[in-house]
Amino acid sequence: MGVNLRDLVPKTPIKLEDLSGKSIAIDAYNALYQFLAIIRQPNGTPLKDNSGRITSHLSGLLYRTSNLVELGIKPIYVFDGTPPALKEAEIKRRMKAKEEALVKYEQALREGKIEEARMYAQATASLKDYMAEDSKRLLDLLGIPWIQAPSEGEAQAAHVVRRGDADFCASQDYDSLLFGAPRLVRNVTISGRRKLPGKNVYVEVVPEVVELDRVLKECGITHEQLIDIGILVGTDFNPEGIKGLGPKTALKLIKEYGSLENALPHIKDAEFPVDPRQIKEIFLHPKVTDSYKIEWKEPDVEGVVDFLCGERDFSEDRVRKAVEKIHRGYVKLKGKTTLEKWFG
Amino acid sequence: MFRLKVADAKLLRDMASAISILIDEATFQITPEGLKLRAMDPSRVAMVDFEWPKTVFEEFVCTEPTKMCINISELLKLLKRAGKDEIIELALDEKTGRLQVKITGKYARTFTMPTLEASEEEVPTPKITFNVRAKATTDGLRQAIEDAELVSDHVRIEADNEKLVFQATGDLMGATIELKKGSDALLDLEAKEPSKATFSLSYLTEIIKAASATSDIATLEFSTDMPIKLDFQQAREGKLVFYLAPRIETA
Repeated sequence: MGVNLRDLVPKTPIKLEDLSGKSIAIDAYNALYQFLAIIRQPNGTPLKDNSGRITSHLSGLLYRTSNLVELGIKPIYVFDGTPPALKEAEIKRRMKAKEEALVKYEQALREGKIEEARMYAQATASLKDYMAEDSKRLLDLLGIPWIQAPSEGEAQAAHVVRRGDADFCASQDYDSLLFGAPRLVRNVTISGRRKLPGKNVYVEVVPEVVELDRVLKECGITHEQLIDIGILVGTDFNPEGIKGLGPKTALKLIKEYGSLENALPHIKDAEFPVDPRQIKEIFLHPKVTDSYKIEWKEPDVEGVVDFLCGERDFSEDRVRKAVEKIHRGYVKLKGKTTLEKWFG
Repeated sequence: MFRLKVADAKLLRDMASAISILIDEATFQITPEGLKLRAMDPSRVAMVDFEWPKTVFEEFVCTEPTKMCINISELLKLLKRAGKDEIIELALDEKTGRLQVKITGKYARTFTMPTLEASEEEVPTPKITFNVRAKATTDGLRQAIEDAELVSDHVRIEADNEKLVFQATGDLMGATIELKKGSDALLDLEAKEPSKATFSLSYLTEIIKAASATSDIATLEFSTDMPIKLDFQQAREGKLVFYLAPRIETA
């Protein structure tokens, strides 16, 4: 779900092409969830191979990655490791929400309400371990680097960008800002024409860039204060936040009292499932690793075809076209330089 | 206060067109001496360095230095409405932040367009020691690039003291275009050492096509695996220079 800072954060809309030549650390679970939720038949059934295994995530990963690489964008996928123990409440909440959605989905299907069924089906999307393994296998074949985070993927992605090993974090959530990512780009994995849930209306989703420095400057706060605001509004570690308290009020409170610790005595009904200082600690000092290698390699065309077409019943023609795009992008990327190299 | 007047609409239109191939939002530095812009394209592969002293204009009034950012392709759309000998006047309304574009000639029309938040980025000049300096007609360059474009999406430019060679290798076809020193197309050539560098044709073609509308002669400077500098000599005073980063072929 992620922290809701939408109202506080200045965003710059960009074109996907503007990211050409840039490397982006993509929150892999975030992207895979989107693929699982969105890539479905009209009645909500996910894509499956002949033996009934879900393939929506592989389809999304292949076609989205090929579109990015074709534009000269260099993706790095960052996978979640073991979630921090503090996340238990949120994980339970998500499981419960999915169980409820599943019941409603089946009911809607029985009643023949296709539109509704699809909507609930999207909410049932759950990411199984085998899907992450599938995805890593596909990325290896495509020559696209991926990083295994020790804990939270967004924390690791932020770390990679902070070290200068990637230019942007890519995620739909704003949590990477709390983890200290200097630059976040949203809507990278879903841009284009999108159907609004439950309605027959399409909107154009464009990528947008959020810069941490600018957020802090415009709000007049420090990074630590931004974390405090996040905790008041609700994070994955205290999903409820404080009832009735939105981002704008949270900003006002933190600016008035300086910190979460000082603000809490002034807030009615301030309850937390866990000690808020521990939550703050996760954002300030997340578990991350420096042992990763980022290298884009030539895609193994036949390997991809064997896997996706041989084992998962993808259309060979479409797969070859997508891998060919990645190959073209790879050849272009290999020799590309920017003028910045000569600014000295 | 800032306003200017150009008697030949084409001059302004061609310049806007040359700038628009690299950038959407153009931040101009305006001083009492003239107009300047230096910016990189979003992927930072190419840079444009443009300068027009006030003497280029029929009228140029700037009471204090300012920055003005506009969407250059939107401006270009308006300028394209002007005929060749029509007069264009630009005036910035500082109160509303809108730019007024007045075209007069056959008839009078006044457009207004918004200005945008100016970029604060100071783009430095790339530090490069150039080993080759070639002076060529823009027409000759354009022909060479169009030949190369038939077979590939990138081109290697090579030079020694005798000739400038464009070498393009595609998946299936290849092309070699030779310009000899002293020929109609290649007016001058100096090479401190033989050099070669490869560039993306999509950038090079657009730069040369757009800039050759403003210029007949260009000076190319490059070194092995370094950015190329393309200086398009302006008919009147002023400067239009492009830098383009190379593609480096690694084994």
